[in-house]
Amino acid sequence: MDVNYFTTVERMEEVSNRLLETAKQIGIDTWEDRKKNQTPSCMFGEGGVCCRICSMGPCRITPKAPKGICGATADTIAGRNYLRMVAAGAATHSDHGREICRVLYNADPNGSYKITDVAKLEKIAHEWGIETEGRDIYEVAREVAYTGLMEYGKPFGKLNFLERANDERKKVWAEQDVEPGAVDKEVVKAMHMTHMGNTADAEALVHQGLRTGMSDGWGGSMMGTEFSDVLFGTPMPRDTEAFFGVLDKEMVNIIVHGHDPAMSEMIVQATEDRDLQEYARSVGAKGINVCGLCCTANEVAMRHGVKMVGNFLQQEKALLTGVIEMMVVDVQCIFPALGPLSECFHTHFITTSPIARIPGSRYVPFNTAEAREQGRTLVREAIDNFKNRDETKIYVPEDKQQANVGYSCEAIRKCLDGVTNSHLDERDTYKPLIDCIKAGVIRGAVAMVGCNNPKVRPDYAHIEIMKKLLKNDIIIVVSGCSAQAAAKYGLMDKRAKDYCGAGLKRVCELVGIPPVLHMGSCVDISRMMLLATGIAKDWGIDVPQVPVVGCAPEWMSEKAVSIANYVVTTGIDTYLGVSPQVSGSAQMMELITEGTRKMVGGGFIINTNHEELVDAMIDGIEKKRAALGI
Amino acid sequence: MVGLFDRAFKGSDEMYALAEKALAEALATHDESTPAVFPNTAYYAACIYEYTGIKVMTLGDLKSAMEPIRAMMTRNYRTHDVFTSGIATAMAAEVIELCKYLDTDTPYNGEYHGHMNDAEVRELGVPLVTRDIPGFVVIIGPAPSEEEAEALIKGYQSRGIFVFLIGGIIDQAKNRKLSMGFPVRIVPVGPDIWCASHIISLVMRAAMIFGAIGPNQYDEMNKYTFERIFAFVNAFDPVDDLTIACGACAIALGFPVITNDTKDMWRVPKTLIIQEDTKDWIETSLEARDIKIKVTNIDIPVSYSSAFEGEIIRRPDMQVEIDGSRKDCFELCITKEAHEVEDHKIEVIGPDFDEIPVGSKMCAAIIAEVAGKSMQSDFESVFERKFHTFVNCMEGIMHTGQRDLIRIRVSKNAYEAGFRIRHIGEVLYAKLKNEYAAVIDKCQVKIYTSTDELHDLRKMANEIYDKRDERLAGLTDENVDQFYTCILCQSFSPSHVCIVTPERLGLCGAVSWLDAKATNELDANGPSQVVTKERVIDENVGSWEDVNEAVAKYSRGALERVTLYSIMEDPMTSCGCFECICGIEPFSNGVIIVNREHTGMTPLGMTFSEMASMTGGGVQTPGFMGHGKHFIASKKFMKAEGGVARIVWMPKALKETVRDRLNATAMELYGIENFCDMIGDEESCGNGDPEELVNFLSETGHPALAMDPMM
Repeated sequence: MDVNYFTTVERMEEVSNRLLETAKQIGIDTWEDRKKNQTPSCMFGEGGVCCRICSMGPCRITPKAPKGICGATADTIAGRNYLRMVAAGAATHSDHGREICRVLYNADPNGSYKITDVAKLEKIAHEWGIETEGRDIYEVAREVAYTGLMEYGKPFGKLNFLERANDERKKVWAEQDVEPGAVDKEVVKAMHMTHMGNTADAEALVHQGLRTGMSDGWGGSMMGTEFSDVLFGTPMPRDTEAFFGVLDKEMVNIIVHGHDPAMSEMIVQATEDRDLQEYARSVGAKGINVCGLCCTANEVAMRHGVKMVGNFLQQEKALLTGVIEMMVVDVQCIFPALGPLSECFHTHFITTSPIARIPGSRYVPFNTAEAREQGRTLVREAIDNFKNRDETKIYVPEDKQQANVGYSCEAIRKCLDGVTNSHLDERDTYKPLIDCIKAGVIRGAVAMVGCNNPKVRPDYAHIEIMKKLLKNDIIIVVSGCSAQAAAKYGLMDKRAKDYCGAGLKRVCELVGIPPVLHMGSCVDISRMMLLATGIAKDWGIDVPQVPVVGCAPEWMSEKAVSIANYVVTTGIDTYLGVSPQVSGSAQMMELITEGTRKMVGGGFIINTNHEELVDAMIDGIEKKRAALGI
Repeated sequence: MVGLFDRAFKGSDEMYALAEKALAEALATHDESTPAVFPNTAYYAACIYEYTGIKVMTLGDLKSAMEPIRAMMTRNYRTHDVFTSGIATAMAAEVIELCKYLDTDTPYNGEYHGHMNDAEVRELGVPLVTRDIPGFVVIIGPAPSEEEAEALIKGYQSRGIFVFLIGGIIDQAKNRKLSMGFPVRIVPVGPDIWCASHIISLVMRAAMIFGAIGPNQYDEMNKYTFERIFAFVNAFDPVDDLTIACGACAIALGFPVITNDTKDMWRVPKTLIIQEDTKDWIETSLEARDIKIKVTNIDIPVSYSSAFEGEIIRRPDMQVEIDGSRKDCFELCITKEAHEVEDHKIEVIGPDFDEIPVGSKMCAAIIAEVAGKSMQSDFESVFERKFHTFVNCMEGIMHTGQRDLIRIRVSKNAYEAGFRIRHIGEVLYAKLKNEYAAVIDKCQVKIYTSTDELHDLRKMANEIYDKRDERLAGLTDENVDQFYTCILCQSFSPSHVCIVTPERLGLCGAVSWLDAKATNELDANGPSQVVTKERVIDENVGSWEDVNEAVAKYSRGALERVTLYSIMEDPMTSCGCFECICGIEPFSNGVIIVNREHTGMTPLGMTFSEMASMTGGGVQTPGFMGHGKHFIASKKFMKAEGGVARIVWMPKALKETVRDRLNATAMELYGIENFCDMIGDEESCGNGDPEELVNFLSETGHPALAMDPMM
């Protein structure tokens, strides 16, 4: 059936180009200009064979100089650089998770932060052996949060959430010694191992990469996700809109940007306060329009239906519309370029976290006790700023798409309940999905994740890969910037079913879902691990056997490297469209593709040609099916 | 295990080979110009016509269809290929069948029905479209036994489902002497699986006739049948590859297949269902195709009609009485998970009327357990309130009250006609399922009548009632995002629109905010529409731009604006079915309220009916307003004019009804204790004398006297 409502990548680029004209007019640079200035990029850095770990160097590996001053080979140098990327990524996600633990610890029925999902809190408490019977729920929350915080530094034992895995996985993890201990310990250990004069064995470095990644995915990230659900509600399907057209010229526009939902939740709440809405009207605005960028958008869209302006590489363009009264950022993926850019407009650029201090911003340190009032103050300031727009610099594109978002694991199971037969089937399982996969109606599932990267035509690889998968009856779960790409294009509109192969289309019709399911932000890739684990358990097989793979076609951040490590350790092959910076070492390339697969059942498949990459994925899924005899 | 797709592909190839063979045999004895048509149809060979566009008139045309049919049998391992191969299988089957009609219009000699003509398609099509026939089943047999075959066929027949039979089950039905044919809605189509093409042909023609689908509209056809034709297949073990390939066609069209064959069989939710318990096939199948059977016949020995709603059973005529004021009694509607509810199960736990002495009281708990994918717990109380009407409409049964204060009297005549307690369950089942089909998928009723259990059960019920009250009390106009319209009365009063809010129920007293919400969710285009409340104008008098827009829209321009909390400024209009009217009493700065039941005079010098004549009809009369009884104790009652403190007179009976709640509101708003004692009534200050009223109010220290004048 013809599907003709999509916003094509070409159209997205047209809109972007129009916004870039404003930048040119003002005389400010954007990432497009800076990318040109940075090209060609350093080949030593690209290959991972530049060592800056001590001050004897920097040492760079060439055919004529195959070793660093200390004798480190290309394998050692690339391995150490790689592990340091994992450590940085794991630290980033995990510290986000820790912040959420702190918010939970301070939750108060009369304060800014309350418990929303009591059932989830109790479930975690039971998993962790914390008494709930007859106790005040806030007391339970404090103990759970405290136990969570101790996961970061406990001296002995392994992470609590590892118990959630299926038995075969747990066995593999124990045998391969990749069960992480305390989150901080794994990061520190990675840094220690990579210090001058320590581990030179690439395999040991890659092995620690898996452990460190695991401390993120099954530790910090998982706590970040789960406790955010406890505080702000477990996402359930809801409708929202995506792309620049969600900005409204006649309203006070506030953008929340970053990753941690704690502060943005307060902004969203404040915009619902009647007195502030009235205040906005009193300054001549139609109302207050809060929109999201990057993963903060994913967080608030999943829980409140807040509209999504766009993903990572659109952050400058959002400001270039000239109608943003305020951009409030928390942590991660925030361009320093926003500082000087916001100064060209009336936009207030507000940083809120000591983790992300940026020149050109006003720093309003977020504080749990006063967060509700802080949110209100910021919204009021944004309203005050409405009158300061420069009409000559305004261009708001009209394009936008409908998106149905909010597919947590709980939501997916609830949707699947809708196709069970009460005369036969259990409820609250993944079995209906498994039956569809076994019969062949759906061939498998792909988790599309990750960032945008100027090395790839933005969103193009995400979209082209998704489209081919959908045509081939492969269902897609998404998070992060990949999710936003799908939303902007229109693939989260339920009408997108008509684009799919006949099997997936029918499933979407019967279950009442779009073919691309939004599972959240990048910490929410932990949800995908639980989804894969749940499917494996309900199927009675191990995760690497399930016809499910991961894909990050446009990844760029260190977090993505950490994610990729816990995804493969969970047993899921991961297809990368941008090569990790280790290509200067043949051993490292071998280790991250085939080496880890021998250890834990999953590895990287790297191909910078997205057409070949998606074919490899379909092939990989069909091979897993054949191995299962289906 | 052989894969599902492999089986479908193999079966499809087999059918094609059979078609080639049948065609070759036909061509051996006939030339290509021989007419090849089914009798009495304008749609040629309908499957082939729809999917290839070929209008088969001759054997030569049929031969030319073979290549296009083959072309649809693609072999990629994708559902699309299975679907097109399935459809091609049906076309190949149609080739086989058409070859039988070359020399005769009646190849089956009346033994089987074979081809269905266009008149029959229309005959079945109309009730299918109107849902008078809720769906049709194709049973491919034989069943494990003749008895089971009969039970299955009759089970469908009794639910109004049209039955097509293929294969061995036809002989089983004949042996059981089942009467068959179009008029009794059981059609023995033919002995072989390729006869299924006649049913697919019927579906094609129904879609072409009723859905205006043209030939070569693959997507449109499959969408139409998936969304509008409520068919399904029951295939008995063993299911061979040919049947699987035909099943692929059914599934492509949206018709689920239910089987008890487990060998090389694959489950696909709502699509290919393995149900080994063949006795549960009917319910499993209906749920798989989302078919809800309307209960048309209520199985009770007495008449059922709204004419009996007002019937009164006097004590001497009474066989037995369920009396909540003396015994542990209650009625309750609760939500359960689908698997916890067995549809139409009526259970009586404890003694029946037979075991109770004539004229005595008994205890009873009547619990309706409902399940449904769209069911919400907020609907429970809405449904429960309807028990009163449902039970009252039975001849010889009287029902009053609600919750644990019910009274149900059963007359001697009803008892003698065979009425027993389980019949209350039958009525509740039938009415709930019919009236709330949008949300209730399954319903079972449990009636407890033994004293031992009831005490604890009543405690449980009271906890549920308390929780509901808490939820209702927690609902305020401020903490909900939307109000609802109610325009149920527009048939009488075309310009009237009620705005229903948590703290202001409809003026008839029968529509609370939750009722309106449920009404909206049960029927999105019905009388209750969502009214947002985003653009506030003045919260004190209760005016919103959104509300004004809704009122203007639904009164079709007759009204421009209303306030929700004022009787002086744009008060809400009334249709005429208000429970009460309040009107301004100028001497005391207050208002009097009179209820419909009060026939006497009021201090305004007007009776209820005189006041009603100037208040109803959807016009705004500042100073007068119709409203529900419940609204009197609301904190929003005349909030703009100072609230309930303005109430200076009410008939005594009305005052007693609202006393506790009104006192509580006055305590909360003004700190006044026993406020109701300050309010005049027909006894304390006579009828119709304003001076006497003011004297009374001065004595009791009524706050209205000290308030600002209203006019």
